[in-house]
Amino acid sequence: MASTAIATPLAPTAYSGEQSGVWSWLTTVDHKRIGTLYLFTALFFFMWGGVEALIIRAQLGAPNQHLVSAEFYNQLFTMHGTTMIFLAIMPLSAAFFNYLIPLQIGARDVAFPRLNAFSYWVYLFGGIFITVPILFAVAPDGGWFGYAPLTTRAYSPGINIDFWVIGLQILGVSSLAAAFNFLTTIINLRAPGMSLMRMPMFTWMSFVVQFLLVLAFPVITIALVFLLFDRFFGTNFYNTVDAGADPLLWQHLFWIFGHPEVYILILPAFGLVSEVIPANSKKPLFGYPVMVYSGILIAVLGFGVWAHHMFAVGMGPIADTFFSLATMLIGIPTGVKIFNWIATMAQGHVRLNTPMLFAIALVALFTIGGISGVMHSSPPADLQQTDTYFIVAHFHYVLFGGSIMGIFAGIYHYFPKMTGRMLDEKLGKIHFWLYFVGMNITFFPMHFAGMLGMPRRIYTYDAGQGWESYNFYSSIGSYIIGVATLVFAWNFLKSRRSGAIAGPNPWGAATLEWTIPSPPPDYNFAKIPTVTSRYPLWEGKEADLESARFNAQEGKTAADFGIVMPYNTIKPMIVAFGLVLMFCGLLTSRVIIFLGAGIMIVSLFTWLLSPLEPEHH
Amino acid sequence: MSATVTHHYTSTGLDNRKIAIWAFIGSECMLFISLISTYLIYKGRSVVGPLPHEKWTDPSTGHTFAPILNIPVTSMSTFVLLMSSLFMVLALAAVQNKGRPLPANAGWWTRKLASSQLWLFMTALAGATFLGFQAYEFTSFVNEGLTIKTNLFGSSFFTLTGFHGAHVTAGVLWLLALLSIDARRGLGPSDALNVDICALYWHFVDVVWIAIFTLVYLIR
Amino acid sequence: MKGLDRLRRLSPFVLTAALAIIIGACSGSHPNTTFTPHSDLGRDIDALWDRLLLLGTIVFVLVEAALIFVIIRYRHRDSNERPPQTHGSTKLEILWTLIPAVILVFIAIPTVRTIFKTQANAPHGSLNIEVIGHQWWWEFKYPEYGITTANEVYVPTGRTVNFTLHSADVIHSFWAPQLGGKRDVVTNRTNFLWYTPDSSMETSVWNGFCAEYCGTSHANMKFRVFTVKPDEFVRWAGWQKTQAAFGAKTATATTAASSTPEMMTAAATTTGGPYIFPKEKIPAYTVPATPPPRGLTFTAGLTGNAGRGQQIFSTGACIGCHVIAGNPSAMGVLGPNLTHIGSRTTIAAGRYPNAAAYLALWIKNARVMKPGVLMPTLGLDEYDPILKTKVTTASGGLTDQQIADVVAYLTALK
Repeated sequence: MASTAIATPLAPTAYSGEQSGVWSWLTTVDHKRIGTLYLFTALFFFMWGGVEALIIRAQLGAPNQHLVSAEFYNQLFTMHGTTMIFLAIMPLSAAFFNYLIPLQIGARDVAFPRLNAFSYWVYLFGGIFITVPILFAVAPDGGWFGYAPLTTRAYSPGINIDFWVIGLQILGVSSLAAAFNFLTTIINLRAPGMSLMRMPMFTWMSFVVQFLLVLAFPVITIALVFLLFDRFFGTNFYNTVDAGADPLLWQHLFWIFGHPEVYILILPAFGLVSEVIPANSKKPLFGYPVMVYSGILIAVLGFGVWAHHMFAVGMGPIADTFFSLATMLIGIPTGVKIFNWIATMAQGHVRLNTPMLFAIALVALFTIGGISGVMHSSPPADLQQTDTYFIVAHFHYVLFGGSIMGIFAGIYHYFPKMTGRMLDEKLGKIHFWLYFVGMNITFFPMHFAGMLGMPRRIYTYDAGQGWESYNFYSSIGSYIIGVATLVFAWNFLKSRRSGAIAGPNPWGAATLEWTIPSPPPDYNFAKIPTVTSRYPLWEGKEADLESARFNAQEGKTAADFGIVMPYNTIKPMIVAFGLVLMFCGLLTSRVIIFLGAGIMIVSLFTWLLSPLEPEHH
Repeated sequence: MSATVTHHYTSTGLDNRKIAIWAFIGSECMLFISLISTYLIYKGRSVVGPLPHEKWTDPSTGHTFAPILNIPVTSMSTFVLLMSSLFMVLALAAVQNKGRPLPANAGWWTRKLASSQLWLFMTALAGATFLGFQAYEFTSFVNEGLTIKTNLFGSSFFTLTGFHGAHVTAGVLWLLALLSIDARRGLGPSDALNVDICALYWHFVDVVWIAIFTLVYLIR
Repeated sequence: MKGLDRLRRLSPFVLTAALAIIIGACSGSHPNTTFTPHSDLGRDIDALWDRLLLLGTIVFVLVEAALIFVIIRYRHRDSNERPPQTHGSTKLEILWTLIPAVILVFIAIPTVRTIFKTQANAPHGSLNIEVIGHQWWWEFKYPEYGITTANEVYVPTGRTVNFTLHSADVIHSFWAPQLGGKRDVVTNRTNFLWYTPDSSMETSVWNGFCAEYCGTSHANMKFRVFTVKPDEFVRWAGWQKTQAAFGAKTATATTAASSTPEMMTAAATTTGGPYIFPKEKIPAYTVPATPPPRGLTFTAGLTGNAGRGQQIFSTGACIGCHVIAGNPSAMGVLGPNLTHIGSRTTIAAGRYPNAAAYLALWIKNARVMKPGVLMPTLGLDEYDPILKTKVTTASGGLTDQQIADVVAYLTALK
């Protein structure tokens, strides 16, 4: 802020050329609007998964309760995990990928705007497909990890697991399509001068995540194809009954995906926090190159540690040793990140606003999750920890304390950019403190419950086992989180209409997304900037500031600058619909399969043969 | 395949689609690695026959099954698929050089070399021939008593080669789409990238088959 | 400053609460704790845990202290000045790469040592117990003794016991937290878990659990480990090898004397001296406290006749799934072996105490008593929640009187 002269911000009126109405949302190919769709949808699923968690905690609040049946409880914990991972945290990250990556690298849109819309619609339809069954108590009930042979037809004859297998397959299509898109965007659409080592840290971590997605998702796809074939066509991949199949095949395939998946969930949050902390310390990120390399190292090592989820399956001492040491190694780059965040704040001007509080909470809480993670990287110690509530505590510190806290830091930080208005600080702080306290009350006692012998995934437990008080605390804490989420929802909806006007750069941050109006115009940058620095608004040369001034102009349209914008189109949504319909056919009839495939192929062809944008030269 | 090819600035100078197809191929590698690994893990672990390289006698009926893989036939189809990659290279070259005047003394062969339609057709034909071989192979296996449900070998073999076959099918459809565009309005150097991307995919599918042929058919 | 002030004001409460939880964890009654192991494996793990906890706590305190210090020290209200713009320091980066690396070395060395120690082959002369996981109960076989039992496993103190783990269906995990770590019970695989229960240990009972999610009643797949002195073990094994006292010699009409199911205890025949685990040594935490589901009834005041019960058992559906040594009709192997069911302390894989009232309700309405079980609903005119039909005489339904008879028979099988 100090070095950029920016006119008094205008009220965020609809910029000219903005579209409205339902149809414009169905047909949009604008990365920002798609990001907004992701954000709303994912927040909805986040609350849905939260309600599932609250029912779980109500059931476990006291021993021998009968609030829900065993069958329904198993559906609840399966869907809580599946929802939070695939329908909440990943899409929340995707919301930021969509919204921020083009803005941070100085691009007008993603590489394939229509593919981007397609990814969103597949996600939405897939999310509905996998979520609706719980309303009829036929939801998947094999755990989010779906271990075979429990999930094979022989042991799960119902339709429940079918929804899971097909639903995840659909969601995989969405994630993969999005990953190809963002990978290409980051590689190819950086503004002139935006070298890799000048990219903002969020874009860097997103870049790493796209590699993980591209390489990890095919593995789960194959694991699910096997399960699908087993369930529908009688193949033998997991047929332990009479074909001699080895159920560890599933576990290996699943965790080769599943462990990188953990970093897919956490690295975007790391990236967001790496934006929030420098902006609110008024200091560049400490050790930027090291932060980049540690992110890459975490991702690379992440492919070599999957079997630490399997220390109890009896792999033998050599495999255990290998995976144990590899897992411990990951602690090093992760620790380095923590230290660098703290060092960024050190000697800075630390401003404790809501986004910063959430970011600091990530540093504080992820540390706890990291330490408990090292504790079960030791296989013998893990024999007492795995499949107990200690693990539940661990990964909630990582995913709630890490991912969710980081994502909320991002929401509070970028809400002004997305809407042009600030979220209410007072409600934000109430939200933060309730989250911080509630999450510790919920998850810290689980460490004890686990080490005191409480297994995971049990719908009930007997009195007198020494677990009552911890479970009671956890249940209380979970309802604090529930209330806090309502506070946030209220803040979010209220501030969109009546929050304080934000202006282009309310935090005095340094990167390209803060050089343009809030909310950004559909074309993002009136003139694609030429970047000379990692922090254009702090350390940029005259050229950076010049283009920042130019791009801060409000109330213009793309036509004013002669910018060609892509056509809106409904085709990606129809292709997505056809795809999901085709999968639905597996559960109903062959006619539906062919109908879906037909819709998909025809609309795909018209999509591919129609131009993205008007001709221009 | 979008009708307009606009020349946006890109950081690498490469077209977005070129980057995307490489990312896609990277992803596909993991897909086939998973399939091939599963096949290898389950190799020799079937509790009943027929088996790929060994004879097997059904203890209940006394019927003896011969080793089921027919390596000479598959070698033929492998050769056809390899040739298709060569055709693909020629097709791409023909598209890239379209419009360049032929030397006055150009003979029949030189003129044929410049025909993108011919080579696109030959590539698709070779791909279709490969699929024909595969259909023959699958049918004869089923007749001999090996289905996808029979044993671990059947499940992993049919799924692996079936996935590859599906990729070839997609490639053939892609080639036919290019061919029809070529027939309608002619593909020229400005379309070279579209053909290039298809070629990359086609070569990838071909390379995967080399791996499958070696690991499944040749190595016992 | 408001947030921080609040934190300062709250911190004593937070600390007190945390302390209360920690003290609670160490002192309260925690029958399944992993912190007071009773075997060599348990102690090896606990030693690692102590080290992990110590190092973890040090790291935790240092990192959080640094974080809080930095926030407080460099706290700043809005101002337009900018602090000195530093970008990093190679020395510091190297330093904090090395610190975790060194800490990890101190964890890795004992870890690897313990891996190889605990995963070696079980020492020669170990007691081999075959564990078979079923949805949702445990079968235990002692090949040396030719014994098969269910959900209650006896091990002698001071002798290494080698559990050989198999699954009959899906993946389970065998875990008695007070004795040692867990090991998965994997379909089509054989796993091993061995440890030596402390010889100094008193005769006692420990809880065991299935730790791998295995379907509907995963929560109800429990077992009990009875650690007994070697001589007691010999007596127990000797007794288990024989047929139950009330046995094959057809019904001699040992009538149960009691009038209500609760009191329906058959007179234990003393011939041969059955080894019954001393009641006073059964800790409260191994006695299930789960109340039977609401809505289940059983006619009060019925007297069971064990002889009649044997008749019903031997001609009814029971024999399809259960073995009772000495009863030639009872040959089924799908369900638990009931040869000495009368001497067990729990039923339904540890969900209910083995008392006549529970046993009667169990036979009548197993699928309500424990969700998802294979054991069918046998009470006449009762609704079977899995088959979704009412049980009729044709489908093997039993009246309350008949069930009381069967209960009398089973209870007599000491």
